[in-house]
Order: sequence, then C-alpha cells, then structure tokens
Amino acid sequence: MIQMSHVYKTYPSQISALSDMTLEISSGEFVFIAGPNGSGKTTLLRILFGAERPDSGEVIVNGMNITEKGFNQVYSLRRTMGIVFQDFKLLKDRTVSENILFALEVTGHSRKDAKEKVSEILSRVGLQEREKDSILTLSAGERQRVAIARALINDPPLLLADEPTGNLDAQMTDDVMGIFTGLHLKGATVVFATHDIDLIQRYPHRIISISGGKRVDAHKEEEVKKRE
Amino acid sequence: MIFFLRYVMRRTFRNIKGNLFPNLSTIGIIAISILIFSAFTLISLNLSSFLKIWENKIEVVAYLKKGTLLKEVEGLLKNTRELQGVEGVKYVSPFDAMAFLESKLGSQKNLLQGIQPAVLPPSFEIQLKKDYRNSVKIKEVVLQLKQFPQFEEIQYGQEWVETFSALVHIVRLTQWILGGLFLVAIIFITSNILQLTISSRREEIEIMHLVGASPAFIRIPFYVEGFIQGLLGGGLAIFFLYLLHKGLFLYIPPSIQAWLVRIPIFFLPQWTILWILIGGMVLGFLGSCVAFTRFLKYSE
Repeated sequence: MIQMSHVYKTYPSQISALSDMTLEISSGEFVFIAGPNGSGKTTLLRILFGAERPDSGEVIVNGMNITEKGFNQVYSLRRTMGIVFQDFKLLKDRTVSENILFALEVTGHSRKDAKEKVSEILSRVGLQEREKDSILTLSAGERQRVAIARALINDPPLLLADEPTGNLDAQMTDDVMGIFTGLHLKGATVVFATHDIDLIQRYPHRIISISGGKRVDAHKEEEVKKRE
Repeated sequence: MIFFLRYVMRRTFRNIKGNLFPNLSTIGIIAISILIFSAFTLISLNLSSFLKIWENKIEVVAYLKKGTLLKEVEGLLKNTRELQGVEGVKYVSPFDAMAFLESKLGSQKNLLQGIQPAVLPPSFEIQLKKDYRNSVKIKEVVLQLKQFPQFEEIQYGQEWVETFSALVHIVRLTQWILGGLFLVAIIFITSNILQLTISSRREEIEIMHLVGASPAFIRIPFYVEGFIQGLLGGGLAIFFLYLLHKGLFLYIPPSIQAWLVRIPIFFLPQWTILWILIGGMVLGFLGSCVAFTRFLKYSE
C-alpha cells in the first residue's frame, strides 16, 4: 500500500526533516510512526498525502507514484485516504453535520446522497445525537471523532493520523483508539504518528521509530513482528 | 454539470456574503475606474461624431484672380471637376456672393449699401467625395488646385479641421492610456482585496485540499466571485455614467442648451456597453486569478 524508498527532505531553512527514509506498509496494517517532537513524523505523513514533495527518493501510495505529482494532481489520491490531525481542522462556524457535508460537497457528492451518508457515518463514531450541534459546543474528544467521521466519509482504504490523540485525555484517547482499532479490524490500513510511548505500549502494533528524520527501529520492528 | 454549477453559485454567494465589505469595496473601486474610462470613451465618441458631421460639411473654396475671363472659367470648371476627390463644383459669381452676404446679414443688409459686387472675387465652391472629407485627404485636393494659376487663394477651414482632429486624437489617446492604467490598477486592487477574502477562507481551502477537492472545485467559486465583482462594477459604472449624461443637461445654461440641440450628443452604444461589461468581468477574473495564484504560492 505504501512504499517509500530513500526519501530525503530538507526545508528551505536547511533543516533536514527526512534522511534516507525507506519503509513499506502493507495493506491492512496498523503502523505507529513513533518519535519525539521534531523527529520528522509530520513531514513523513505530509509526503504521504502529497502536501510536501521529497527532494529525492520515491514514494508510492495506493499504487500511485506521487514523487513527481504536483499539488494539483494529488487530489484523486487524497480521496483514497482519510487524514486526521491533532488540531482536528474543523470549521468552527459550522455544525457537526455541516463539517462532514462540506467534505462531501467539495468532492462532488450531491446534497441528498450526502445527508444520508452523514447520518450513517456519525452513528459509526457515536455522534448521531450531536448532528446539529455547533463544533464549539463539543469536547476535544468529540471534535476528534467528527474529524475521524469526515476522514471516513469516502470509505478510504488508508487512514493517516498525525498525533490524533495529542490533545485528548486518557478516556478520550481510548475512545478514539477504539474507533481506529475498529477500522483496522474491518481491513483499513492505519498509519498513526505519535510521540506517546504509553499509547504505543497499550496498543501493540508494528512500530516505525524515527529520530532526527532517520529510522532508528530496525531491531525493534523485528521484535514487534515476532510478538504479533 | 448542473450539480457543479449549483455548487459554484452556492459557494460563490456564500463567499460574497461572508466577506461583504471587502466585496463591496472591490466593486466600488472597479466601478470608479470603469466610470472614468467610460466617461473618456463617451467624450471621445461624441467628439468623433461631431468631427464626422463637421467633416461631411467640409468643402474647398477657391477664389479666382480678378480679371479671369468667363471663357477661362468654363475650362477651369471642367478641369476642376475632373480632379481626383472632387464630387462637384459650383461657380459663385460676385453677384451670387453679394446675394449670399445680404442673406447672411438679414435685417442689417443695408450695411452693404454702396458696395459694388465687383469688389467680391468670383469663386468655386468645391464639394469633395466622402473619402476626401478629412484633414489628410483634403490637402491632396488643395495641392492639385494650387497648380491652376487662375486661383488667387484656396480656403478650406484647414486650422479648424486640424485642431479638431488633434483634439479627438488626444482624447482617444488619453482614453487608452487611462484604460491601460486602470486595467493594471483594477487587477492590482481586485487581486489584493480578493486575496484578503481568500485568506479569510484559508481553513476552508486547506480542508478542501485535504479531503481531495479538485482544483476546479476550489478555485472556480473564487474566479466567479471576481467575474461577479467585475460585472457589478461595470454595471454600476455604466449606470452612473448614464445618470451623469442625463443630469449634465439639467445644469447647462439654457443659451448653451439651445446651441447644443443642433449637435447630437449620444450615450454609449449597446455594443460599447457590452464590451465595457465584458471588460469588467475579465478584469475581475484576472484579479481573482492573480490573487489565487499568489495565495497558493504562499500557502502550499
């Protein structure tokens, strides 16, 4: 599903975000991208959804080589994935359902079909009762569930999550992890970037550890594979 | 397709509604710029039309030397008629000239008492073909006439024609220079204000990118917003120009109004109005293109 080989990325400020990054994630896997703040997790994910272009190396996602794709060419790739962020990226002046409808509307769904889909997806994340509530009235955990619902709206086979539990307390984190685990069990590929060691220990999945833009997990990865 | 159009219109009006003040400012600035340009177009159009009316009345008067024999006059008439650009020639004898003067003086014709017609020189009134009724071509006819030694003097209102042509030329030139400057100004102002409205929608645009909205879905509502601003700006400019055109007559003293009645003063023709509106829309569109390109350059 994801192949990244010898990817380098340096920002104009000469900060090396990724260096010789090579990884492979198969379809249906749940993978933690683990590392401290500033280790390159976000850059790695941004390259995977086409928001950044690598300086060199090759990136293939869902069968599409996105290495040379321009920003205007990756929109079809993004429809095959759901993306969730730590800061939710929701429209605060809209309701729960409007936030999800917005995503459907701008990807070419008719309003009638979209409304049915919204109800269905909100019940999957346990927010059917809050459909008409403003985003501002929701807790952080609920907001993250709205963001996940929006990410799932097109039934994507791949979910990219960048520190989605970073702003949540333990209970909310477990709720959100429950949703991700459920999706994984239904066959979705989940790439989950986090710096939370405790979380990684509680949910035993494959770990790709990075630090200073480089992989530092060769031996650990083998151990997890054996454990699974 | 219908779905897409409905989506575009919905988003465009949502954008306009959500950024009403910047949108009204853009429309106002476009309207003022187009109004100034259109005013010059209107002045230039009316001056051209006036020049055309005046040119149609242009004729050359060639005064014969005293003592030219009537026999010579007949030959000269024939030769003049055969000149290139000449449509017709009328001989005006000293008696005809005196009668003309008397009719012009009207009740004051007694001023001419005691003056013999013989003091007035005979002349040819030469009507020109349509193509020759302008300041350039008329000179060609005059040059041909000057080759006949029987003519003492040739008059054709040269200074008037040249001055008026120069005035029309200056107005037209000003119109296009101003047009060019306003074109740049409109694109600059529209793009800057639109950039503000686009920036205020940064979050929305970012989410649209993330969920896989196509570039058309993201950009076209903003381009249509530019189109609408240009159209409304152009429409307002034409409307105010029309009011100015009508209102101007109310403040002109009656004596000048009576004189103006003889000169037809037109408003802009329908085609010109259409072109101005299309121009406004294109400028609004270009402004939004520049704004969006700049926004993407700094945001991606």
